[in-house]
Amino acid sequence: MALITDLNRWQKWALPTLVIVFTLAWIQHPDYEMSNFSTDLIVSAEQSSSVDKTPVFEERFASSDLDEFVHSPSITALPDGGLMSVWFAGSREGAADVDIRSARYDAETGQWGSEKVLVTREMTRQAVGKPIRKLGNPVIALAPDQRLWLFYVSVSIGGWAGSAINVMVSEDLGATWSEPHQLVTTPFVNISTLVRTTPVFHVDGSIGLPVYHEFLGKFPEYLYLDSNGHIEDKFRIADGTNSLQPTVVPLDEKRAIALLRYAGDEGHVLATMTEDAGQTWQEEWAVAPWNPNSSLSAVRTDEGSLLVAQNNLIDGRFRLSLDKATSNLSSWSVVAHLDASPDPLGNPIPRLEYEPIMKQKFISSSGTERKGLLTGFMGLLDYRVCRSDMCDFEYEYPSLIRASDGRYHLVYAWNNSFIKHVTFNTAWLESQP
Amino acid sequence: MIVLGLQAYISFALIVFALVPLGRLSMAGRAMVFLIVLALGIVPLPGGLSLAGYLRGFTDDLAITTLVWLAAAAIARLGYLPAWPLATRRQLWIGFALAALVLYPAALGIGMIDTYRWGFVPRGLIVAAGLLTLLLVLLRNGLGVSMLIAATAAFILDLKPSDNFWDYLLDPILAIYAIVALARDLIIRLRRRRSNGSAMVARN
Repeated sequence: MALITDLNRWQKWALPTLVIVFTLAWIQHPDYEMSNFSTDLIVSAEQSSSVDKTPVFEERFASSDLDEFVHSPSITALPDGGLMSVWFAGSREGAADVDIRSARYDAETGQWGSEKVLVTREMTRQAVGKPIRKLGNPVIALAPDQRLWLFYVSVSIGGWAGSAINVMVSEDLGATWSEPHQLVTTPFVNISTLVRTTPVFHVDGSIGLPVYHEFLGKFPEYLYLDSNGHIEDKFRIADGTNSLQPTVVPLDEKRAIALLRYAGDEGHVLATMTEDAGQTWQEEWAVAPWNPNSSLSAVRTDEGSLLVAQNNLIDGRFRLSLDKATSNLSSWSVVAHLDASPDPLGNPIPRLEYEPIMKQKFISSSGTERKGLLTGFMGLLDYRVCRSDMCDFEYEYPSLIRASDGRYHLVYAWNNSFIKHVTFNTAWLESQP
Repeated sequence: MIVLGLQAYISFALIVFALVPLGRLSMAGRAMVFLIVLALGIVPLPGGLSLAGYLRGFTDDLAITTLVWLAAAAIARLGYLPAWPLATRRQLWIGFALAALVLYPAALGIGMIDTYRWGFVPRGLIVAAGLLTLLLVLLRNGLGVSMLIAATAAFILDLKPSDNFWDYLLDPILAIYAIVALARDLIIRLRRRRSNGSAMVARN
């Protein structure tokens, strides 16, 4: 090793350059202070009861296209009382023709408008400058600064494990959108980070985006973005190979619960908790409901309990329930079965018996605007839910939010064919046996 | 045509140029090969994306350190610089292999410590990289010094889409290259030592 007095010419130049460059880098990247959870959306009991004293429970389809397989919806409330929902649609999950669709709910008319294509594979390819094989899992959320954020995954190589997260932002509540760009979230050529569940916001407008990995391990993380969508930090919620798709529910400024999809063969919903606004998480533990390796979604209620939309089943996704849990997750109760197969075990039903049941379910679910799609839908059963004249019911991938007026909005994939939207209020919750 | 960042085109040209056999081509011939490779990466294929874009789908954006190393290799192949001494390369193989061991297993989800996170809150990593650069200066390792100073300068200038300092310092291609080269070097040294030992025994 050279002594300082023995340095040659380039070394004498390198030393001050080194000091300048690394000092500048150090000054330019100060540590940040993590902001507390925003509690603005934790609606008080007085606020919600003043809006609705009579029980409200409404169902309708948000999507309007008959031809596509639909999956993985997400919903957000808009400032005018309306809603916007996004999902992915195509000939099948993972197909090259899958695109991201959106629709808007008009609070005055109480109807969903026609669905629109929001993002395509080609659009993403053009913007990120990489081959894109498929798109999936869009998530939409309105930030406190009234900017609308859209996150979705795209795959350049391999299957879903090769996913990267793309982000778009709208400054005008969804009328126009920025070009997508990719968040760089892993050191492995930026593959294997997915998004599925709704972000939460912090007091300073920063965004807490629950994400997960499914490359060699299956584990959730909490991505902390500043209010402009740049990654500030990343925190591991759990490690290992058995948990995905965290749904994060802030309880107060510092505490939040994350419920995790169980990614094994047979198991229960996993839960974990943070007491420092998402920086550290307790070791995950299994809670009472079963989870058949399916997505779930939760929000906080007036009295501080959790409302969870999930497939509380050992296997299959033939029943979607709304369950209530105390904030320590020790006690669970069923509020309602929102949609369910008439067969308690979810066994396939012969087509002759199935068709009248499905017709009735369609009529009660569709809302007036989409009722006319019944005949077309019944003609497509073989593509969606029936095999060899035996048919299934599938209700999956719920996304549950609470609007500032206190009403709850839930969207989920209804028999692979429609995105169903359910609205209810606290009075309805209290009226359930 | 889908226009990519300059880095994607340069990365494509440097990677392909490092792999193309050049035989006994003259310096001018080698420079011509480099220009052809660069042009190949820019020309759009049906659908608008160029070969550089397709390669980027597999490699993402290379680390700046990798780019500097590939550029140094290209300059050496063009004949403007002699090949870097083995000792220089060996120091870098060791450094980047160790960095890969620190980064990748933890980022894969082994345990609750995520070392990739250090690159988002990078002051500790900046100090570590600065000290490593100082060590390389004292070791007279000009290539390593150039790589780390260029990576850090690029981080200051925010030249990559990543917000993470690790992505300027290391990528899987560099990590795999360093580990494979180090393993190969170890095997060669062990074999040489063994054959030297046998020769000594035979002489005695």
